[in-house]
Amino acid sequence: MTVHNIYIFNKNGNLLYYHEWNRLKQTGMTREEEAKLMYGMLFSIKSFVNKISPVDPKDGFLYYKTSKYTLHYFETLTGLKFVLNTDINAQGVRELLQEIYNQVYVEYVVKNPLLNLSEPIESEIFKAKLDALVKQSPVFLSRVP
Amino acid sequence: MVIYSIYIVSKSGGLIFNHDHSVSKIENEKPFTFPVDLKLKYENKRIIVEFGQKDGIRPGHVLYAVNGKGLTDRQLDDGQDVFEVLENKNNYPLNLKFGRPKMTTNEKIFLASMFYPLFAIASQLSPEPKCSGIEVLEADTFKLYCFQTLTGVKMIAVADRSQNGVESLLKKIYELYADYALKNPFYSLEMPIRCELFETNLKTLLDVMEKSGIANI
Amino acid sequence: MSRASNRFDTKKVNSELVTLTYGALVAQMVKDAENTDDVSKQLERLGYNMGVRLIEDFLAKTGTGRCMDLKDTADKIQSAFKMYLGVQPNVANWSPGGDEFSFILDTNPLTDLVELPDDLKNLKYCNIICGVIRGALEMVQLDVQSWIVQDQLKGDQNTEIRVKFIRRLEDAMPAGED
Repeated sequence: MTVHNIYIFNKNGNLLYYHEWNRLKQTGMTREEEAKLMYGMLFSIKSFVNKISPVDPKDGFLYYKTSKYTLHYFETLTGLKFVLNTDINAQGVRELLQEIYNQVYVEYVVKNPLLNLSEPIESEIFKAKLDALVKQSPVFLSRVP
Repeated sequence: MVIYSIYIVSKSGGLIFNHDHSVSKIENEKPFTFPVDLKLKYENKRIIVEFGQKDGIRPGHVLYAVNGKGLTDRQLDDGQDVFEVLENKNNYPLNLKFGRPKMTTNEKIFLASMFYPLFAIASQLSPEPKCSGIEVLEADTFKLYCFQTLTGVKMIAVADRSQNGVESLLKKIYELYADYALKNPFYSLEMPIRCELFETNLKTLLDVMEKSGIANI
Repeated sequence: MSRASNRFDTKKVNSELVTLTYGALVAQMVKDAENTDDVSKQLERLGYNMGVRLIEDFLAKTGTGRCMDLKDTADKIQSAFKMYLGVQPNVANWSPGGDEFSFILDTNPLTDLVELPDDLKNLKYCNIICGVIRGALEMVQLDVQSWIVQDQLKGDQNTEIRVKFIRRLEDAMPAGED
């Protein structure tokens, strides 16, 4: 069980934060282009899910699985989007994303009046807390490449 | 344990088959007094609930009928503008019917062609090498399974979250496709599948699946 | 300084300190500004910036879901008043269409022991609350208008803040969608 990388987008589609722990393949695009592509894909998936759902959706899109990785998605009511790529066996990732929102983003970004919410997060304490939270969660197990 | 719909998408991304096996119809007809306590707005040639809820009617639901009269765009079948009817106190009490927006065939074609690029981007953005496209997509109200054959045709099933055996179901559908569509000399590849035998067999397969589970097929 | 491990452990601050801080802020703004309307507007903007952040804290602490109608929204703001200001306002005066309502506050920690002098009779002292409501709701895609109807500082029985629903806001879409 391992975590590959995380993206955090705000409601306007700006990439606020990206970090990777265990990424084995790069896309060959710049981080910015990759972020735009990721956001566009997520936006389309959300719209797709809303249309194809047989009953009224509540939380909407949760995750998708491919043969090699799972992409987990968590969106807050304020339009903040958390994306976590893990291996296909990961459990309890939604709770982890919720903890990242509750315990790291709200505490160290929202409550810091000096940080602009629509710009990339530069706070060192945010990075450190996020890293610590992910590393001590059962989802993360460092895989020796 | 329900299978909602099946879609088959060709290699080029066009929808070649669609079957809605079990689509729940969510419709609510309720009496309303003046003023209507739901906020309605006109969007995309439909009147939808912007905000507010009442007895099962939710934001996003579409207005289908006023006092039993259907409506197209902004107008009732008898020619009146719906918003004018709603503003006029004398028309109350009114019976308004709302429902979840149903997908038109065009929308389904659009969705199917939207799925293929998402599938490809998922593979491109993969943090691991040699990754396939989307195999399972889960939301809180359904689970979508996608089986891509080696020829690039995608079999997609939208089912209830607790439904099991959908991957084997999709493989069985592939077999049916190989039999009743491809072996039919009058069916052209990449065109919409209009073979009765395929549809009937598919329906039987889905019924058996729902009643007794995948093990019995 | 490490945060206490218990999520709901609010550091208790003397509410008089809050009253004093807010009062000092308003007094300074009155000195710096040219007229009371400017100050009222600035207070509303201050509130807006606070609301935009407060909503995330509220959502994180309560884990609440999306509101389906304005009554839901009113209930949630009511519990937020309790959480952040320690007061319990009443929700009343619904418009017949259900798109406007008021919060009636009979106590307000911001205005404890405050008296408005005669030359500041136009000042909307509690405008910061209106801004907070507007900012917070805008972050969850609700466009509302919020204003003060009655004000205890001006001799009324209660402080009444009215909220009116304008429309739903859509998330920013990438070019070419829908």
